[in-house]
Amino acid sequence: GMEENFLSLDDILMSQEKLPGRAESSLPRLAVLLGQGAGSAESVPEGSKLEIPLWLAKGLHDSKRRIISVELPKIYKEAWRTVFSADANVVDLHKMGPYYYGFGSQLLNFENPENPEIAQTILQATGGGSVLAVSDSVCSPQTFIARFRRIMDSSQNAYNEDTSALVARLDELERTLFQVGQKGLNDFQCWEKGQASQITASSLVQNYGKRKLAEVDG
Amino acid sequence: VLQGDLGPFNPGLPVEVPVWLAINLKQRQKCRLIPPEWMDEIRDQERKEDTFTPMPSPYYMELTKLLLNYASDNIPRADEIRTLVKDTWDTRMAKLRLSADSFVRQQEAHAKLDNLTLMEINTTGTFLTQALDHMYKLRTNLQPGESSHSQDF
Repeated sequence: GMEENFLSLDDILMSQEKLPGRAESSLPRLAVLLGQGAGSAESVPEGSKLEIPLWLAKGLHDSKRRIISVELPKIYKEAWRTVFSADANVVDLHKMGPYYYGFGSQLLNFENPENPEIAQTILQATGGGSVLAVSDSVCSPQTFIARFRRIMDSSQNAYNEDTSALVARLDELERTLFQVGQKGLNDFQCWEKGQASQITASSLVQNYGKRKLAEVDG
Repeated sequence: VLQGDLGPFNPGLPVEVPVWLAINLKQRQKCRLIPPEWMDEIRDQERKEDTFTPMPSPYYMELTKLLLNYASDNIPRADEIRTLVKDTWDTRMAKLRLSADSFVRQQEAHAKLDNLTLMEINTTGTFLTQALDHMYKLRTNLQPGESSHSQDF
């Protein structure tokens, strides 16, 4: 969505990510904070390059460009967008992200002329609802489908398989999705084996017991 | 009983009871279960059709499991049925994934899945709805305008 969830821990973490920007006017006595100089009285000169977290950038940003201007991180720029549309599956979204989708969506707040393309690429990468946007055949349907398809298949199919390699490359949003898929499958398999009707000690209790034992030993 | 009467129960005569009661009586060795007729002839058409075929019972997975677990001695060719039903399940799940994929690809906003059973829906349900939620959000990103209000300080 356009706005982050105020109390979402993930969104808070996401808005900590740094964003390249440029000061459009001089910012008095802020040089220390923004890592530009030593003295507390020094100001950030106009036009200097900044690396600011997303939340601050959002606060300072104004469409009239009085305070700062924001540049696109390179993974949202044209070159990377081309990579995504070539094959979204090869990209390691965790390294690029880990909040690729969320951060990208928030970037749209800065009224960049490339906004439509960015929004489209994010969609394409998920593989999903993108179709609406991409019906003008910007890229082949297999590409953007691919990521969704693979997450679904691997989370639903790969029972008892080592999925760590795949999960390592997933964006946070994709990871939650992946876990949901796995849970559905696991629950079903448990039921099928009749484990659902067995009562087992919760892992919390088990750990508690272990701790007590350890205390006695020590 | 609260919902409808059962019985009368006579030794040696077939009578219809809810599954939970059947299982319970069976465990107490008070009865013999008769497998439903469909348990013999499942699957064959599932492979042929693209859409989901109507299942013999809305709880075919559940029934097979319970009956085979508790009364496999009453069911002829129990192992065979287990494999058949498992096959059916796998075929249907594969179909479900396939159609989810093309659903997503064709920008649909709704779909009709008439003959899916609850068990099948539940197993993938949360995953699918969450995935579609995300896609919906990302898609609304594309539409500038009313949602992108800028605040003036």
